Amino acid sequence: MESQYRRNQRTRPSAVIGRILAYAVMGLFSFITIYPLVWLFLSSFKTTNEFRMNMLGLPSAWTLDNYVGAWRIGEFGRLIGNSVFYTVGATAGIIFFSLRTGFAFAKIKSKATPLLYGSLILGILLTIQSLMVPLFLEVTMLDRLLGDFLRTLGLFKGGEFRLFHNTRLGVLLVYIGSALPVGIYLATGYVRSIPDAVIEAAQLDGAGYSRVFRTIIVPMSVPIAMTLAILNIPSLWNEFALINILVSNTGLKSLPLGIYRFSGALSSDYGKQFAALVIGMLPMILFYVGFRKKITAGVAAGALKG
Amino acid sequence: MVLPSYLLFLFVFAFPIVLAVILSLSDFGGGKMFGGEPWKITGFQEYRKLFADPYFWNALKNNIYIVLISVLGQLPLGFLFAYLIYRKIVKFGSFWQGILYVPAIISTIVIGIMWSIIFSPYGPIADLANRLYRSLYSAKLSELFSSAGALSVTDNLVDKIIGISPQTIGAIFSSPRVELKDFLLSYSPDQLIMVQQDLVNLLAPKWSAEFLSQRDLAMIPICFVTLWMWTGTYLILFHANMQKIDIQILEAAEIDGASEMQVMRFVVVPSLSGVILNATILCISGSLSGFALILAMTGGGPARVTQVLSIYMYDSAFMGAPNYPLANAIAIMIVLFSLALILIMFALEKRFGGKE
Repeated sequence: MESQYRRNQRTRPSAVIGRILAYAVMGLFSFITIYPLVWLFLSSFKTTNEFRMNMLGLPSAWTLDNYVGAWRIGEFGRLIGNSVFYTVGATAGIIFFSLRTGFAFAKIKSKATPLLYGSLILGILLTIQSLMVPLFLEVTMLDRLLGDFLRTLGLFKGGEFRLFHNTRLGVLLVYIGSALPVGIYLATGYVRSIPDAVIEAAQLDGAGYSRVFRTIIVPMSVPIAMTLAILNIPSLWNEFALINILVSNTGLKSLPLGIYRFSGALSSDYGKQFAALVIGMLPMILFYVGFRKKITAGVAAGALKG
Repeated sequence: MVLPSYLLFLFVFAFPIVLAVILSLSDFGGGKMFGGEPWKITGFQEYRKLFADPYFWNALKNNIYIVLISVLGQLPLGFLFAYLIYRKIVKFGSFWQGILYVPAIISTIVIGIMWSIIFSPYGPIADLANRLYRSLYSAKLSELFSSAGALSVTDNLVDKIIGISPQTIGAIFSSPRVELKDFLLSYSPDQLIMVQQDLVNLLAPKWSAEFLSQRDLAMIPICFVTLWMWTGTYLILFHANMQKIDIQILEAAEIDGASEMQVMRFVVVPSLSGVILNATILCISGSLSGFALILAMTGGGPARVTQVLSIYMYDSAFMGAPNYPLANAIAIMIVLFSLALILIMFALEKRFGGKE
């Protein structure tokens, strides 16, 4: 229902020019956004020579040779497997720890809550990439310390003891920990909105906190768990700075790490390089196409609190 | 129930900060922390070195460029697009949103490598520019030759060719007048077209990305890609929160005859002030710690001109001989800078912000 006034205003010449301008700006920015990605996709079907001759046109043949070559050289099967493991594992961990802690903060009265909650929330302001050097030193030193300790106890023999550095566990712990401040913040807010009466009724029936958590909080928290998953899956999948310092073992590398190494090794083989880049972005593009509405809603919910 | 999460938090956030503070004040040289080579607290010498280090200031300046393009570019553009869609000034809002958010979902590494190829001297931008230069040059040549008729090599023609190729002639011939004339005389008069083609190949200006190796200018592509990547995120964020504005306030403003600018200024911006503050904080802390994009695009090069603090920190710790005290001092500086900027934002919001 538009007011007469608004309709008049929209048909004024200045308003018409304004709208044309608005479409032009929007169209131009959208074109600049999407064209490089389309170009990348088209280029991934060209041989390196063809690319040199014809950088902007369509490929002469839609052959998958570049993809086959890149897949073999880059060992993308293993990289994708690792990325799936890290993403799924860390997402599950983030949801689990966020919900448990959120439940405790929201529903269990304790004098320690303000201090613990407050310090956790401070973590939202810190971007953990800036701590990558001390984090690297921490994990390597802990491994050495634990290794020495276990050796003196006679429980560990052999060369290097690894628990945090160059292990899947180390990556998962850092990923989960770094997402917890936002996760706990969102989960606490959500659990708070669950009425106390529901919980009290269960407690009258003799349920302890962990049973309340399992039987009431978890089933009622599916929406916030979805938000946490949607929010974290893309950033975990694409994460680079931290895994770059946590992992040097080829067998443990994730997709972005593999692509970065690949690009250094094959910088002049444009065809395979482009194929590798497309392999790198395709999973998340598909994820985006599948869950677009949820992703954008999650961004709005998560970043608002950021 | 809280303990495991809190331990993880300490493991990932609190302990590294404490470690960074301690090591930044020490002469720790790697090796074992306990029982290895002895190390001790030596004071603020790393910070003093940092403040005297031109590379540190250059990295900080580059970081400030990124913060500026983020706060003054991404946020206003994202807001503008959100507003255009929200007020239905442009239709198909969902379509535009869908497109503009795509870069945010793609790996920064992929994006960085892609753009480094696009901007490279062998990339499509250089290719396009070279084609343009060649066709312009070839048009100028044809003009010269058509006025001269058939190929008759005169001093006048030689001078004119030298005149239209000021950038390249010196690189090809040491004494252009004599050598170019000899070169032209080596063709027979009926090879007019061939001469022209060869001259284009030889003397057409080449696109050079030299500006990309200069201080300040070298940051342009990185700033552009930063803008390209994140504007869509802020569009989504602002648009989602505009939906929550009470429609009656908007209608009241319209009935009172408010212009589009007034609606934005007096209704939409004040209702979103909290969100704008949050977005700014997000933006600042993200741009100060941004790492992967620059690593993939330039690695901080050429000759460290595009280095930012996080790259400088990374290089100090992991490239060449590690200097852990220095790297940790940089980490502390990054944390302090982002906290300072965020505090300034809060103060500004208190002072000038609207009520929510």
